[in-house]
Amino acid sequence: MRKPELSLHGVFPALVTPFERKTEALDEDALRRLIRHVLPYVDGVVTSGTTGEFPYLSRAEQRRMVEIAREEVGDRLVIAGCGASGTAQAIALAADAAEAGADAILVVTPFFLHPSDKGIYQHYVDITTHVDIPLILYNIPQVVDAYLPRTVVQDLADLPNVVAMKDSSGNLTYTMEVLEYAGDRIDLLIGHDEVVVPALAGGVTGMILASAQVYPEIWQQVLRLMDEGRIAEARALQRQVQKLSRIFCQYGGGVAVKAALNMMGVQVGVPRSPLKAVGGALIHETRAEIQLELEKLGKIAAEDEPFAYPDGPLASRFGDLELSEADIRAHGLRLGSGSAGEGLNRVQLDLIGGRKDSPLGDAYALQLTYPLHGREALTTILEPGLTVQPSTLLLPTLPQKNLRQANMIYGPTQSALGRAIVDALEAGTIPAQAASDEVLIVLATVHPKAIDRHALYQSVYQAARAAIAQAFGA
Amino acid sequence: MGYKTEWFRGIFPALVTPFTRDDRLDEAAFRALIRHVLPHVDGVVPCGTTGEFSYMTLEERKRLVEICLDEVNGRVPVLAGTGAPSTRDTIALTQHARDAGATGALVVAPYFLKPSFNEVYDHYRALDALGFPIVLYNIPQCAGTHFRWWTAEGMALDFENVVGIKDSSGDLPFMEALFEKVKGRIGIFVGHDEVVQAALAAGADGAILASANLIPDIWQAVYQATLAGDLATAQEWQQKVQKLVRIVVQCSSTQAVKEGLRMMGLTMSDSRHPIMPGGGFRREDYEELRMQLEALGKIPARTVTYDLGTQQVQTAVAATPHTPDVVSGWTLRVGEGFAGPPFQELAHIDLLMGRKDGPVGRAIERSLAGWGEARGLQVIRQRPLTLLVPTVTVRTARQRRLLYEHAAEGINLAIQANIDSGFLPEAILDDLALIVNVFVHPAASIAKRIVFNNYKAGIQAIRKAIESRPTLDELFNEKVAARHPFRYAP
Repeated sequence: MRKPELSLHGVFPALVTPFERKTEALDEDALRRLIRHVLPYVDGVVTSGTTGEFPYLSRAEQRRMVEIAREEVGDRLVIAGCGASGTAQAIALAADAAEAGADAILVVTPFFLHPSDKGIYQHYVDITTHVDIPLILYNIPQVVDAYLPRTVVQDLADLPNVVAMKDSSGNLTYTMEVLEYAGDRIDLLIGHDEVVVPALAGGVTGMILASAQVYPEIWQQVLRLMDEGRIAEARALQRQVQKLSRIFCQYGGGVAVKAALNMMGVQVGVPRSPLKAVGGALIHETRAEIQLELEKLGKIAAEDEPFAYPDGPLASRFGDLELSEADIRAHGLRLGSGSAGEGLNRVQLDLIGGRKDSPLGDAYALQLTYPLHGREALTTILEPGLTVQPSTLLLPTLPQKNLRQANMIYGPTQSALGRAIVDALEAGTIPAQAASDEVLIVLATVHPKAIDRHALYQSVYQAARAAIAQAFGA
Repeated sequence: MGYKTEWFRGIFPALVTPFTRDDRLDEAAFRALIRHVLPHVDGVVPCGTTGEFSYMTLEERKRLVEICLDEVNGRVPVLAGTGAPSTRDTIALTQHARDAGATGALVVAPYFLKPSFNEVYDHYRALDALGFPIVLYNIPQCAGTHFRWWTAEGMALDFENVVGIKDSSGDLPFMEALFEKVKGRIGIFVGHDEVVQAALAAGADGAILASANLIPDIWQAVYQATLAGDLATAQEWQQKVQKLVRIVVQCSSTQAVKEGLRMMGLTMSDSRHPIMPGGGFRREDYEELRMQLEALGKIPARTVTYDLGTQQVQTAVAATPHTPDVVSGWTLRVGEGFAGPPFQELAHIDLLMGRKDGPVGRAIERSLAGWGEARGLQVIRQRPLTLLVPTVTVRTARQRRLLYEHAAEGINLAIQANIDSGFLPEAILDDLALIVNVFVHPAASIAKRIVFNNYKAGIQAIRKAIESRPTLDELFNEKVAARHPFRYAP
């Protein structure tokens, strides 16, 4: 058996398909710009893959994309996604791809009606019989809802035109099994961005990745390092892009990749309906997280704004609550302050406490009628349903500019403050009577770029215990 | 071949197991539970899944069966749960049940190490040799393996002492296969509370149910109606309890049942760890379960005094042990409500409640005179005076509608429901003010779900404010395990 000569040792981005914002029409110029953006770092491109929203594309569009890619990539590879539920459609797509100049086709496991193993095998046999072009099998159970069975892969590897399999499952036990049974005849390509280094270490040849259009140079470097056996350095790079890779794989797929590219100035428009650019599979919080990760990678400029932790006499810091130093003294309100953590994790908490029938009770109620100014007060909880006592408002001192930043307040800050209060109550630092008779308001200053939720939780907890101890005279 | 017995039919509760404060079997509470269900049932099951059999020592399980037999005293059959992962322990427990005088043994498929079918077969063959009635028990949700029809058929036909099978899978095609293969030869029981009526109508001989601790009378009514051929009545009851039993089945059944029994006034412990309150049975499930039991009239009324300083108001409410006898401190009360699913339609309410002439009333007055319009505040009700405060910027017409029409409707219904149930007595409505901070997710779409979730969250928030929940004990017990959903990176 002779296989076609085709080097798949490389990095191949599974390109998104750019669509225009209003009409959702294929944006050919944007596609060309996207290809030019990745070309310096890649060994070829993949059109109409899963990331490219292939089930939403017409046959004509898919062919056109192959033509464009062919024009743009020169002697690098064009791999055309030719996935379809039925065999006849897959054959038609494959014939188009061959005519339009593709070097290989990528054919996903037939989906939706869940054919038997025999049916799956026949699907690929029929395609290779009708169209003479190197074929890459494609296992992606996350969307097909079934694995390409290893025993089928093992037999398909005997077909002359079957040159490789892309495995997007991320399930390395499966990958290793396919390598064991078919690795002597076909190449394996890793298609899951979160496990590239382990897969390369296990013996895969190259990679087809969604994230290879966002940070292709990193993957190219990973491949070189692994070739040279410099595993520790490759690992470090994988670690650097782990969170973004996870977001692309698990929290939005092609939609998340499009969001990232648009942020980077590589305009690729919107996904096709029913997918939404944001607010569907990709939620607003995750989009904000993508932005921060791209900043960390230097893909977009970080917005740095000066800010300060409050200083001056503690009693002077509650002007926003309309509580003057004189009020605080006159009503015997409790004050405490604490700070902890270093750098991005530094937190300062300024706490005021007092009886519900003091002016603090009024300040408390008033805060909950004053929303949407960027520094809204939150009721302090351990988790939803576990509101702490004494009732405590958490008030950020810096404007919350996006949901990612707000999440640092809702999540780690709120729950750490809650835990500190309940611990202090159980320890007797806060007397039990105060649980029902008093309220607390805590002004929290959290670094606008804080991102390490675990470290932030620790800082807030320490700062809160210190502030409480001071306020309750422990 | 197995055989069909007269005693294996009707409604059997899978009894929960009460524990004492120092974590021993609470014999008195267990006896009281049996007396609570006995008038309505055809048999009882001690040491079932709902009875936390897998968290008990063999000695405790034996003792529990003995207590049960003593309390029942021959009035109904006692089907003892004797399943264990190993054949050795299962035999020991089954022998004990037989010698103690139980009617039969309910034996779950050996679990955890996932023996193959021929190993499972020999497990039951060894039990069959004890000469004591055996009920096979399929519960793939816990055991991890689902009987196949040929497994069940094989054991029913090959073993002399198999008298029945309990199927808790809820898999009706499987159950139909059981009817096809072994109906009339052995008894077939349904064990999934959500499909009881369907299974009985299709031919099941009875039901072993977690929720039959709570509503044995209703299940008996379903069973009797089905026997009498009155499907309409049976269906009506099933639908009436559907939400209640869904909570029980899907949210840590054992803890759900125990919390429910406490609400109904029985003495009952929490489940043994690692099951814990606020875990699989979430805080919002607690509120929902309470509302369902209340709607069925299962929570007894108690008179509670609201001391507003200026006046004292007595009101009769469906009170749980958490409801205080006297509620004072109407300056400022705080309550939180949380209800889903789904994620994007979830309701999260921060509520303040207090006298109109206190901080709450003053804040409403000031905000309306000041930034009220600019910030989208809206008074949605006069009695009690209720201010809706949006906590997410409204950008589209859809968001506006979801907030001011649908979320507001839900909150209004919640207030009305609390007025109707006595929690907000008529006499205090003129003096009372509420500030309701409402969250509607920017990507929310299902309008009716926004109404329902805000209704539920609203009822919770108001009751929690009145009852000062969560209590300090709850906070202390759960603070270590609390898991804030936004505390973790994606």
